[in-house]
Amino acid sequence: MRLSERSPAALAAYALAALLALFELAVLWQALHPNVSADYRAYYIDRTTTCLPQPVTGDYALGTELDFRSGGDNTRETRPCGWDGPAGDGMHSIGETSRLRLAIGRRQNLTLMLELTGVTLPGPAQQRVVISVDGKKLREIAVTPDKTERFTIPVPIDALDEDGFADIALDYPDAISPGKRVANTYWRSVKLTAASLSPA
Amino acid sequence: MFQTTDSGQDKHIAWVLLLPLAFIVSGTLIRFLAFRYAQPDTEWTNYFGALCRWDCGWYIRMAETGYDPFPIPSRVNAGNWAFFPFYPMLVGLIGKIIPLPTIVLASLLSIGFTYVAVVVAWPLLGRSLRAYTLYAAFMLSGPVSFYFTTFFTEVMYVLLTTLVFRYLAKSDYLGAAGAAALLSGTRIVGVFSSLSIGVKALMDYRQVNGTWRGVVGGIFGQPKLVLAIFISPLGLFAYMAFLNHWIGDGLAFSHTQRAWGRQVANPAVYLWEGLVNWPTNGAILSNSQILAVAAVVGLFVTGILAWRRQWPAVIFCFLGIIIPLAAGLASMLRFMSAMAPITITLATLFGRNRIVFAISLAALLVSAWFVTLAWLGGNVALV
Repeated sequence: MRLSERSPAALAAYALAALLALFELAVLWQALHPNVSADYRAYYIDRTTTCLPQPVTGDYALGTELDFRSGGDNTRETRPCGWDGPAGDGMHSIGETSRLRLAIGRRQNLTLMLELTGVTLPGPAQQRVVISVDGKKLREIAVTPDKTERFTIPVPIDALDEDGFADIALDYPDAISPGKRVANTYWRSVKLTAASLSPA
Repeated sequence: MFQTTDSGQDKHIAWVLLLPLAFIVSGTLIRFLAFRYAQPDTEWTNYFGALCRWDCGWYIRMAETGYDPFPIPSRVNAGNWAFFPFYPMLVGLIGKIIPLPTIVLASLLSIGFTYVAVVVAWPLLGRSLRAYTLYAAFMLSGPVSFYFTTFFTEVMYVLLTTLVFRYLAKSDYLGAAGAAALLSGTRIVGVFSSLSIGVKALMDYRQVNGTWRGVVGGIFGQPKLVLAIFISPLGLFAYMAFLNHWIGDGLAFSHTQRAWGRQVANPAVYLWEGLVNWPTNGAILSNSQILAVAAVVGLFVTGILAWRRQWPAVIFCFLGIIIPLAAGLASMLRFMSAMAPITITLATLFGRNRIVFAISLAALLVSAWFVTLAWLGGNVALV
């Protein structure tokens, strides 16, 4: 069967090929213009974050101190992303950002307490941790490897959105790769053993 | 690998049909005994379940519940969009008709499809009984036969690859395209069989006309070939269309790799780092070395195919090795085991000499015991 034959079968084959080509081009165009949420795009496509927030209820009673070690409190509903564990020495951060989501009820001045230990992997002498709430940067702290410390951070009412939750982000500019050619989604920085959010 | 056309009469047809059945029996026996030896306290009825390790679990879930939506209900980042649909969905569909536990059904289907893949490969093995015996033993009773007799896409990948090259041997572009379309919906690298069809068409043109002059017009003047070109990647595009509809991202199969921490780098660097990663536990080879050696063997056999000017197979194998290698050595042994042009070529090489054949056959059958034990023990080189 050749084009020069101009048989109905040949023309039908070309027509079908043209249809398939159009379908494939349309699919390709759609694939190059994904219609996804901002979180999906940031994690999977743009790779601007290592922390893909998963839906959690954020159930939390204001003023309660949560134990993040294995055998401690069930904290799953407060951890949208960026945590690996729990383990006996706490909840290990994984990636370059970790998040906590805690229900706060009405907006008010709060105090955030985080008990953190730096990981002991070869790397910087201290791990900087940038703490933000609802997207507003509050403070940068330094966590020492193998040393557990409590950090208290005031959370002013102005920093909080009106959705009834405090979305806490911990960014790790000094996160350590645990091996050669390990993606930043698996880098390590700190271990969280306890946290609370209390009225100031 | 031989590029032969079908012959009308085949005096070995009974042997071709019966021999793989013998290896189905021997392979099942070896793997079952290894299972009993490794897990004496496990119920024998859990044989198929015990052999279902690593990605096999993902395929079972896919066959039973389909693709993850986004956000993923289990609240993990690793979506099962990374796994191509054709084989798990086929098992899932058959499972709607035959009410068996998914792993049992999938294992039985895999054994059946592998049997067909072996029989179909007969002409590509040069109709050599020794080569055929080695290939059948490797697939059904060999050291990594658990890939082809449990629930991995490798089963369908081998069958469809073999069909593509069977059709290409006859320059049947449409037949090859049909198999390639399914192949591109089985594993991402299956789409490279489209290039094999294009290369074969170019080779045919050159052979018929004796010149490259007028090649573009010559190619596009063949409506069947033009149609084949657009049919062959259809599995991939259909899956992309589904992902566009399902989660809004047609490239989710690639994007979700981020959750596995895959880092794209120079394949040669991955290969070298694997080769020099010496064991520290007293083993002869480290897992990285085993995986790197598998890739080196694959590239070496691809070189043999190039030396024989079997360019459609060369392009398919080369890209099928290099592209996964750019993301690391993980699963390289499994990928190489399922690269039909490579394993078929090796079978023809080891089948040439009677003594080498006998040693190879014995090695395949004996090593099946030890490698199955390693598989049951969770050896990561086999992932």
